[in-house]
Amino acid sequence: MERASESSEPVLDAKSQLIDFQWKLGMAVSSDSCRSLKYPYVAVMLKVADQSGQIKNKFIEMTIPQFQNFYRQFKEIAAVMETV
Amino acid sequence: MAALAAEHFAALQSLLKASSKDVVRQLCQESFSRSALGSESLLDITCSSLSVTQEEAEQLLQALHRLTRLVTFRDLSSAEAILVVCALSKTLLSTVSLPRLVDLDWRVDIKTSSDSISRMAVPTCLLQMKIQEDPSLCGDKPSVSAVTVELSKETLDTMLDGLGRIRDQLSAVASK
Repeated sequence: MERASESSEPVLDAKSQLIDFQWKLGMAVSSDSCRSLKYPYVAVMLKVADQSGQIKNKFIEMTIPQFQNFYRQFKEIAAVMETV
Repeated sequence: MAALAAEHFAALQSLLKASSKDVVRQLCQESFSRSALGSESLLDITCSSLSVTQEEAEQLLQALHRLTRLVTFRDLSSAEAILVVCALSKTLLSTVSLPRLVDLDWRVDIKTSSDSISRMAVPTCLLQMKIQEDPSLCGDKPSVSAVTVELSKETLDTMLDGLGRIRDQLSAVASK
């Protein structure tokens, strides 16, 4: 994740509902370009239902620093939600 | 970090050809010293252990020299160190490109009333995630898609719970 900001005007045209959130913590051990890896990653799948009810799966893979940033963002949101 | 440019990260890609982490570690150690950049023997060793050209080896050693010195002498704070690791991870990941989260924007609103409830103070989060897919798989369609979701406090707490568990798992793996 390059940056996360509290935007004052996010695009709100199509709001979906988060139905499910699945995750996996994996370790890449080898690839075609790198024989010996010990590379942890976090894979997240978001099940989202749009306004018509159609369900879409959004799959994201993150490095550990990206995941930590992701987690930090959510903690920040929760803290704000707590105070209002 | 002006000392590390895009081409340095590109050069670091050659490290992917190493047969083991020990090779990488050794290269980092060897490339650190002042004499590393002029060393013919180090160049030869790099060429043969990574199966790269002389030019690629030279570029790699230059990049590694800068990187190892940067990390050591600038006494990078953990945030900067994470940035370096992140950039290196990006280099490692560039071969297989899976969907990545490129932006996360959010806003917390308070619902104060509705047609059925005249007074309330319900916080709700509007979250927009921008996801980048592999452009080569998208054809003409744009590779970045945006999804906006509304999250209640309950949903958010459930998510945090899950994310916390990932964090715990990571600590467990890291301590092994």
